[in-house]
Amino acid sequence: MSDMQFFHFGLMPYPFIPPGEEIQSTWVTLSNAHYDPKVGARLYKEYLDQAVLAEKLGYDGTCVNEHHQNAYGTMPDPNVMGSQIVARTSKIPIGIIGNALPLHSNPVRVAESVAMLDVLSEGRIISGFVRGTGMEYHSMRANPAYSRERFWEAHDLIIRSWTDDGPFAWKGKHFDVPYVNPWPRPYQQPHPPIWLPGTGSVETITEAARRRYPFMMVFAPLSFTKLNYEMYHRAANEAGYEASPEQLAFCVPTYVAETDEQAHAEAREHYLWLFHTGLKVPTYQLVPPGYVSGRSLRGMLEGRKRFRMKEHWELTYEELVQEQYIIVGSPDTVTEKLTIYAEECGAGIHVGSSMQVGNMPNWKVVKNMTLFAEEVMPNFRPSGNRPAWERGVPLPGAASLVEPIPA
Amino acid sequence: MTVVDQKAPAVEPTMLDVAGTPVAVRRKGSGRPLLFLHGAGFTGQWLRFHEALAEGADVIAPETVGFGGTPLQDWLDGFDDLVLHVDDLRATLGLDEPFDLVGYSLGGWIAADYAIFYPERLRSLTLITPAGFPLEGSSVADLFHMYPDELFATIFNDMSNVGEVAPDPQDIEAAVKGYDEASTTARLVWDRRDDPKLPRRLRRVTCPALVVGAEQDRLIPDGAVDAYAAALPRADTVRIPGTGHALIIEQPGAVAKAVLDFQERVG
Repeated sequence: MSDMQFFHFGLMPYPFIPPGEEIQSTWVTLSNAHYDPKVGARLYKEYLDQAVLAEKLGYDGTCVNEHHQNAYGTMPDPNVMGSQIVARTSKIPIGIIGNALPLHSNPVRVAESVAMLDVLSEGRIISGFVRGTGMEYHSMRANPAYSRERFWEAHDLIIRSWTDDGPFAWKGKHFDVPYVNPWPRPYQQPHPPIWLPGTGSVETITEAARRRYPFMMVFAPLSFTKLNYEMYHRAANEAGYEASPEQLAFCVPTYVAETDEQAHAEAREHYLWLFHTGLKVPTYQLVPPGYVSGRSLRGMLEGRKRFRMKEHWELTYEELVQEQYIIVGSPDTVTEKLTIYAEECGAGIHVGSSMQVGNMPNWKVVKNMTLFAEEVMPNFRPSGNRPAWERGVPLPGAASLVEPIPA
Repeated sequence: MTVVDQKAPAVEPTMLDVAGTPVAVRRKGSGRPLLFLHGAGFTGQWLRFHEALAEGADVIAPETVGFGGTPLQDWLDGFDDLVLHVDDLRATLGLDEPFDLVGYSLGGWIAADYAIFYPERLRSLTLITPAGFPLEGSSVADLFHMYPDELFATIFNDMSNVGEVAPDPQDIEAAVKGYDEASTTARLVWDRRDDPKLPRRLRRVTCPALVVGAEQDRLIPDGAVDAYAAALPRADTVRIPGTGHALIIEQPGAVAKAVLDFQERVG
């Protein structure tokens, strides 16, 4: 069976809010009066303990990400959480997937924070870059019409700040920084692996493939993931190489229990929370003007019509399972479904295995993580079930795997 | 409801080369030239409001960069770019004598800025429910934070004429056009929904001015009409009964009459 790497990922939600059908959105406008910091402190502790457990159970990595002003994921600064995990673990790679570049006024700050974490962890950091969701353009008052431009300019500035000796001057359209000279420099040379998580825009996928950055599909049905991976493969071919499994990641919530029946019984309400409440987002928040191109919007609208795609919060549990937005079942069932990603899609990185979602209690998370590590992961690993970091396998997207882009 | 009555006879646009930028311009009527700057929507057609204005003026209705038939340009970043562009358009049109400038909503903000920078070019300035003026204690409704039907329900107080401009919700091309135009609007106003420099700068507008308000504008606070008028040295105000922010669609005849009567008084 094909090899696969397994990354633990929890969104760190604050689940004690009214159900999705009673609120306009879980983002932007949901009052933070719902947040009780004492409860929040307990949740953070549980969530961080789960990341530490991921190392003990031999996951290949653990991930954090950035979201603002919402109850779906209470990690406005992923580098703060990353720092906690760095301090409490010693071997496991930590994916920051990712810092939302266009939301910040000076990308050098991101370059500094990630380099700090990379030095502190002695090279365990994966640096994901994202644009941030549409919702964050409302809540951070960042201009969505310049999102893509700012993303790539910030990306180019950060990569150069990690690879060229400073100081140098950066003169771009959005950033004008006279002295770029960040201390520390990253531990991994020339820089930590870069990942690009996305929801499937042509522009992101093509750029990711061209630069050989691992691309991660987030919360999409299997059919749509396949289409996007095909796009990645085509773009890789155009760039003159074949994409390898460690370039294709998928973030699919996964729950395993003793039997199919028991897995559904244990997971159902929490996955419904994720899709119906956590992802309760009106379109005008999700896709603010300029966040995608008119061409992409046309594709989205036509695709919706053709595939009869629904909003996340409109999907029934049965549809979530059937379309494989989520994977739930016995170790055999879960193995079988993951095999589809490996064999039919050529994907090699599963993210969000065993992630905590919604109001899933700690005991279920620990049980799921343990069963997954012991009963599912061995099916995709050389005998011994040792994580990639114990076998000397380079991090996906590591510079040693990435050839320079032809000019 | 008869759809035929809701549409003006079509006027096809001509593409003009304005200092290298292609601009779609519709023009009809005779008499003094009246340059009309549209708002953040209602583009791509000759409206009944245009038709009513054309009964008393030579109406020139360009589509702003990134709206209707005028493609977006990389250089468009802010209102100063549009002020210079409008002046390039004026030169292309050969409007060498002082002319009448009318701006609606977002176009009102552009027109006010143009008048600040080129006061000597104008014979008169008319602002119809103009955006841009900073108000203490009230703010513009967040037009980017609504579904299209909510936006229409906010800007129309009388929905009987909405068919003139409401897109078919099943029409993907109309949705893409609306999104592209909203993206242009975002370039201009996402970061700031008003210009704190306007109140001081408006003193430079020396021509006669008229500020036309709705009876109750639920998009831009009604106070903006009086605030604009107070900051402009020579301004009158008029309000059109029964209307909301979309007054040029709700009461095209009454608004056009107010504008033409004012321009007539200017002499």
